[in-house]
Amino acid sequence: MSFRTKLFLIFLVTVLASVSLVAYGVTHYTQAAFEESDAQRSEALVAQFNKEYAQRGDEIARQVKNITDAEITLKVAIDLAGPRPDQSLYVHDAAGAAQDHGLDFVEFVNWDGTLISSAQYPARVGYKNDWVASNKNWNDSAPFLRKEELPDGVALSLTVVRTLSGGNDKNLYIVGGRRLDQNFLASLVPPAGTRALLYRNLEQGFVASALTDVNGSFEQADRLQPLIEQIQKQPKPTVRTIDWTENAADAESFHAIPLMGRNNELLAVLLLGSSRRELVLLTRHILQIAAAVAGAAILIGLLISLWVSARITRPLEELAEGAREVASGRWDTVIDLRGRDEIGQLASAFNEMTQTLAAQREQLVQTERVAAWRELARRLAHELRNPLFPLQITVENLQKARQLDAKQFLEVFNESTATLKAELANLNTIVGRFSDFSKMPAPHFARVNVNESLRNAVRLFEPQFNAVGKPPVIPEYFLTEPLPEIDADADLLHRAFQNLVLNALDAMPAGGTLTMRTTEHEGNVRIEVADTGKGLTPEECSRLFTPYYTTKVQGTGLGLAIIQSVVSDHHGTISVSSDEGHGTTFCIELPQRQSAHRATPVEEAVAAEKKPPQSLTAAASD
Amino acid sequence: MRRINFPLLVLGSVLLLRVATARAADKPRYGGTLRVEVPAASVSLDPREWRVGSLESATNEKLAALVLERLVALDNYGRFQPVLAADWSHDGSSKRWQFAIRSGIKFSDGTGLTPAEIVAALQPLLPGTEQIFASGNTVVIQSTPPVPDLLEQLSSGRYFIYRLQTNGALAGTGPFVLSEAPSGGTASHGVGAHLYFRANEEAWSGRPFVDGIDVTLGVAPLRAMFDLQLGKADLIELAPDLVPRAKQANLRVWTSEPVTLYGLRFDDAQAAVSDVRLREALSLSLDRGTMANVLLQKQAEPAAALLPQWLSGYAFLFNVDTNLERAKELRRGLPANEAAGLEPLRLRVDPSGDLAKLLGERVAVNARQAAILVQVISRPIPRTGAPSSAASDPPSGVHLFAWHYSSLSPHAELDSLFAAYNLTEASEVNATSTDHEQLYARERKVLEERRVLPLVVQAESVGLGPMVRDWMPARWGEWHLADVWLELPEPAPADSLNTGNAAAPSSPQPRPTAPGVKP
Repeated sequence: MSFRTKLFLIFLVTVLASVSLVAYGVTHYTQAAFEESDAQRSEALVAQFNKEYAQRGDEIARQVKNITDAEITLKVAIDLAGPRPDQSLYVHDAAGAAQDHGLDFVEFVNWDGTLISSAQYPARVGYKNDWVASNKNWNDSAPFLRKEELPDGVALSLTVVRTLSGGNDKNLYIVGGRRLDQNFLASLVPPAGTRALLYRNLEQGFVASALTDVNGSFEQADRLQPLIEQIQKQPKPTVRTIDWTENAADAESFHAIPLMGRNNELLAVLLLGSSRRELVLLTRHILQIAAAVAGAAILIGLLISLWVSARITRPLEELAEGAREVASGRWDTVIDLRGRDEIGQLASAFNEMTQTLAAQREQLVQTERVAAWRELARRLAHELRNPLFPLQITVENLQKARQLDAKQFLEVFNESTATLKAELANLNTIVGRFSDFSKMPAPHFARVNVNESLRNAVRLFEPQFNAVGKPPVIPEYFLTEPLPEIDADADLLHRAFQNLVLNALDAMPAGGTLTMRTTEHEGNVRIEVADTGKGLTPEECSRLFTPYYTTKVQGTGLGLAIIQSVVSDHHGTISVSSDEGHGTTFCIELPQRQSAHRATPVEEAVAAEKKPPQSLTAAASD
Repeated sequence: MRRINFPLLVLGSVLLLRVATARAADKPRYGGTLRVEVPAASVSLDPREWRVGSLESATNEKLAALVLERLVALDNYGRFQPVLAADWSHDGSSKRWQFAIRSGIKFSDGTGLTPAEIVAALQPLLPGTEQIFASGNTVVIQSTPPVPDLLEQLSSGRYFIYRLQTNGALAGTGPFVLSEAPSGGTASHGVGAHLYFRANEEAWSGRPFVDGIDVTLGVAPLRAMFDLQLGKADLIELAPDLVPRAKQANLRVWTSEPVTLYGLRFDDAQAAVSDVRLREALSLSLDRGTMANVLLQKQAEPAAALLPQWLSGYAFLFNVDTNLERAKELRRGLPANEAAGLEPLRLRVDPSGDLAKLLGERVAVNARQAAILVQVISRPIPRTGAPSSAASDPPSGVHLFAWHYSSLSPHAELDSLFAAYNLTEASEVNATSTDHEQLYARERKVLEERRVLPLVVQAESVGLGPMVRDWMPARWGEWHLADVWLELPEPAPADSLNTGNAAAPSSPQPRPTAPGVKP
């Protein structure tokens, strides 16, 4: 991934994160604000309910008090307190009182608990209401919730009881109440988005029809069943959110408030619902705006980051390109960058570096060239000195032999001429070697079996493995079969393998194991030749492929140079690894196929002449 | 000679003058319109349309008696009086009855009353066992079984004599004529509708005292009572719950003998009621005394029999006391799924109105004390046809019914009641017997089977205005409005406003016709 892409992504992520953070923050705080507002609305509704509840109780108490204070009621009380009263005279009085005072429920209960008159259930007249007579004085009692029995079922009543003395220590009880139903809910006038439901807990378990709203029975009552049942088990205020549909906007939070009776029994549950639609829609709106802002920000950020990253990375790219050119050998590369910032300073430093490198390289090339010539001269001198010394001795012996008799002179002459010819031949050989190295032929590629070529090369040295008087060398083969054929020049490859084997044999004067290994590796063929000689030092390894460098007393230093030349002509690589005291391993990797468009080995050879000599690595890559 | 005490003389003279004035005030006067208010919103004067035993038939009968007459009448002393029949006789087996028709009587349309008209009128009303035909100036009724109580039958109920006019209206011989009578059934419907009956100047029994009777239909009981209090009505039907109030308000209240029976009858639509133990448990749980004395405010009597004492004479022999313990015991002996367990007994209150509903609810309350659950269904049923459950409602096992006694014959009344509620088959006693012991046995048989449970018998009450005089109804509730006259206030000065009742008579000069001799 390029630096520009990374920079762009960093910008992008930064913008996205910023926008997301802002959207989250706005949503979170909006939601919190709404929740608080919702709680306030619910509290307001609860307060309104409590107020309405109290007001209704007060109103009922006032109306019941009015009934109690009425003359006709006093007359009834006095009559009923007398001996043998005719209770039938008052059987319909409660209905009239209820109608006159706007109450749903009115009952007159005699001192002994006998129901004298009932507005809501006149058929019960004559039966006992013992709970009323159990308290002799109700006048200071507060309104309370009560289960009211009716002919067609049971209702919930907010009830007030008052006592009226008829004399003779006999009281008349006036029980008045109003129905707690949807009409009561309608009087609450809940704020927008909220509503009130009433569950009348008049039967065991959950009864769907007992749940009402202002319009009567409430549909989908079963959805509130768990909440109601929870209140039934544990009567305490509870809050629960109901998802009416899959749409989150239809969800509704319900505050359930248990309404207890006089004996602390659960008689009703007030459910104050608060729609979450506003919150959800607001959240959605915020998210939509956030998405739009994020989109715009991303777009703008994209453009800006592209521009910024391009502006920032262009000098860096030029630096990188310059570095690549330097790496490719163009030491005189100069980057045209202006500016006084760090990038400009970096470019200036880069240019100074390349100039320094170019100068040093030139200096190094010259130094190496001089060193190479010196080495060549030393080698030539060394090579040539060996045959020249016998030649000089032979010539001096021949000059001394002129004083000998002819027979002896002839004998010396013949020996001297033979020696001269031999040493001259030796000189010719030395010169031939140098000549051969300078005239490496261009390879002619054909399909070559590497294993076969390697075996043939080794086979030439088999007589030396077990030569008499020499320690034995044991060849070991680890050749992959079948190994793909490669495009190669069979002669050059054979020559290279010969030099490798010869080097290995020279490295094992005390005998050892010669290991040949071939493998296929990532489309290339790898050939390894290892010996178990004394190994090389790192310094020797680094200079191993320098022409005319040798660690041997009799070597010309051309063997490995020839191998490197062959490998390079085949667009392969050669490397050496050595463990001092345990042996050396040469590894050659050759491509299976030679590309048609590649430069010919000759061109490569010409180009190679321009390259600096490799000192640290023996890799010959294109 | 003793000296005359002058102050005493003056006082005696004043008292004599006062007595004389009072006698003059008690003398019937002609004129005025009697204003009557009834709660029924619809009436029919055609006896052929009446449903025997229905509450509506009571008002129908009262109003029909204004324009129609029967062959005979029964006075409050139990004596039969000739009306359209001048005389009657029967054979020894009481199967053949012969009625001599009074001569010179004309219907209100001017046509004369003939035996053929009587036959035409009674033929559709008589039971199938009785044949009627004219014979000279007489009408003969031939019955298959003996009908010793034929006079009781003919003097009550729907056995009015009428003439069907060509326009479909009915003409009668009664003291009043329905003005602007609707064609056909002479019926009027709707709350606040008026029926005006004008005095029949040609009535054979003499012109009634009042010039007319203005009947307002569909007046709520409380409203009617207020109208009576305020002088806007002279005669109203009083609901039982208003009678104490009316009395407290010092209104004139007249109450008849108990004429309406409220009871429970069972229907096999609910299998649970087929068990007589359940029916008996229900009967024993009922507190009839409270129903009559408290809920109906003593305007009714607890009923142990189907026929009231004044009609049958043996009702006192029946006795049904509340026995809650026994009821509970019977209930405990029932299968768990009956009545109290899974399915409550459904009690349909057949009559409309708060009174019937109240009784039904009381039945439910009483039954619950015996662990019998009763669900009250008080939706009124359609008037036409036999009582039946509405299609949308589940079948009811118990019905609360109201039965208005319309016949003065206990035999005929019991027959009608049995026939209406399919109780005839339950009786194995000779149904045609008119012997009171046999009648008692029939009724007892039915009551013992608990197919029907009497609750209370309720009287009718009437509120009377202060101007109404000579109010002399039959003790079983039949009005005799032809005898009623109004004590109208002195004529107001010509320039004063005429307010209130008709204080101004509709006929400024009463006809010289003397009132006929009433039976």
